[in-house]
Amino acid sequence: MRRVLYLTPIVFMVVFAICPILIMVAISFWTRAGFSVVPAFVFDAYGEFFGGARTAVLTRSILTALLATALCLVVAYPVAYLLARRSRPGFVRVVLLLFTIPFLVNYIIRNFSWAYLLGRTGPINETLLALGLVGAPVDWLLFSTFSVYIGLVSSYMPFMVFPLWLVLAGIDQRLIDASSLLGATPLQTFLRVTLPLSLPGVFAAVIFGLVGILGESAVSLILGGAGYELMGNTIMSATNVLNYPLAAAMSTVTVGLMVLLLVVWYRVADIRTFLGQIMGRG
Amino acid sequence: MHGAKTTHRLSLLLLALVLVFLYGPLLHPLLVALSQTGQVGPGMTFTLDWFGTMFSGRLVGPALVNSLIAAGIAGVITPILAVLGAMAVREFKPKRLIVLIMILPLFIPAVTMGLASALLLRMLGIPASLLTIVVIHIVWALPFAFLIVLTVMSGFNAVYLEAAYMSGANRWRAFRDVELPLIWPGVSGAALFSAIISFNETIRTTLVQGANNTIQTYIWSQFLQVGLSQQLFALMASLILLTVGLVVVMIALSLRRTD
Repeated sequence: MRRVLYLTPIVFMVVFAICPILIMVAISFWTRAGFSVVPAFVFDAYGEFFGGARTAVLTRSILTALLATALCLVVAYPVAYLLARRSRPGFVRVVLLLFTIPFLVNYIIRNFSWAYLLGRTGPINETLLALGLVGAPVDWLLFSTFSVYIGLVSSYMPFMVFPLWLVLAGIDQRLIDASSLLGATPLQTFLRVTLPLSLPGVFAAVIFGLVGILGESAVSLILGGAGYELMGNTIMSATNVLNYPLAAAMSTVTVGLMVLLLVVWYRVADIRTFLGQIMGRG
Repeated sequence: MHGAKTTHRLSLLLLALVLVFLYGPLLHPLLVALSQTGQVGPGMTFTLDWFGTMFSGRLVGPALVNSLIAAGIAGVITPILAVLGAMAVREFKPKRLIVLIMILPLFIPAVTMGLASALLLRMLGIPASLLTIVVIHIVWALPFAFLIVLTVMSGFNAVYLEAAYMSGANRWRAFRDVELPLIWPGVSGAALFSAIISFNETIRTTLVQGANNTIQTYIWSQFLQVGLSQQLFALMASLILLTVGLVVVMIALSLRRTD
């Protein structure tokens, strides 16, 4: 009875997270008949996806996801490092709280703000004009690749700080001390001890950034301007015209990439080293 | 030593810049909502009018009620599931697989999760309702709640349970009287975290809500259909303030744990 109770959350996840994904994968092989879908096993939807202009969106999404995730990492890693290795507990608590708030506030609202801040009459352009740095408002700040990256980094970076902090804080200080006692410079210690030991957390943060951005729809809609699409937008448009097999096929490709990354993570990085602190001796 | 000091200052500067980058967008809706004309800057005229009229739209009230109900239910159910999930990690093997299943929704893009859930509902013939909204919110919040509860439970010393058993307590009594009080700060933190996540969700919800709205999907649909008004900025500013308030309560609860 007790063990059955413990199983409920796992069953819940299987029913409401894994089953929907499996059904979606199945529907990606079905065919359309008017406004409904008919069970089949054909690759029509994939043909429609890879045969058309949507491949360009997939390529752009993958490139955007890679670059934006790298940018997130460049910002989040030093922050997590600073918190984990060099700071007093009270300071860490306050800063983590400061990262929790923007992470929890709906990222769509935060992106609405960016649309204003980066606009022609927004404060950034006003400041540039007032300082005389530019003669006319800068147009490429908004509805551009630049603004999309700003939106993506501000949406996904706060989350990435947490797994990075978790893994960096879990590194045994004695290893760092041993390294410097053996004559390594701080940089050598970082490159040969800290960085390799933090890779499981880096991988977790990177997977989260990559899959989120790959399927992103709101940031590109708000900050990308007319016609700027990421996979999420293309999936949404297919859903809106009730082309479920196509929407499912595109989502399946996204999930497929995610599963690939998770399998690598599961095999290579060992979740226990990432969750070492919180999984006990498991 | 001089080099170390410079590095320290530089890292604090980086931290400050990152925080400005994150907090600028939180401040902006508040300023627009307080501005008479929508213009923000030196010399702007302040008003609270927009906060007074932000509930005037016919759809705002029901959307807000839906959001509050969903956040309330998610805030109760999710931490319970999270505790049971953490128990499962303690009890069953392989632990890694259980953890992976529990945190899986973190790795599924919002649109994909929404679409997949909508397809499941269609297949089963379940109509979209507040219940379907709540379920998709719990799926999204559970990984976070689970990780929070797992963290506090790992700090719990099993010796206390042994002591309870030796004093004649059964499993349930030992949990209720010994373990639960000790992990309670984490559980209540997970509850608030789940409610906040539910309250701030948009994209997943739009795909399973049918004719219903939450306050977030209402704002989103207004943006898509007619654009953002001053009232909407007042609404967004209120949602930001509410979220900040809840986070502060959450932190206050977690501070009690260390005292």
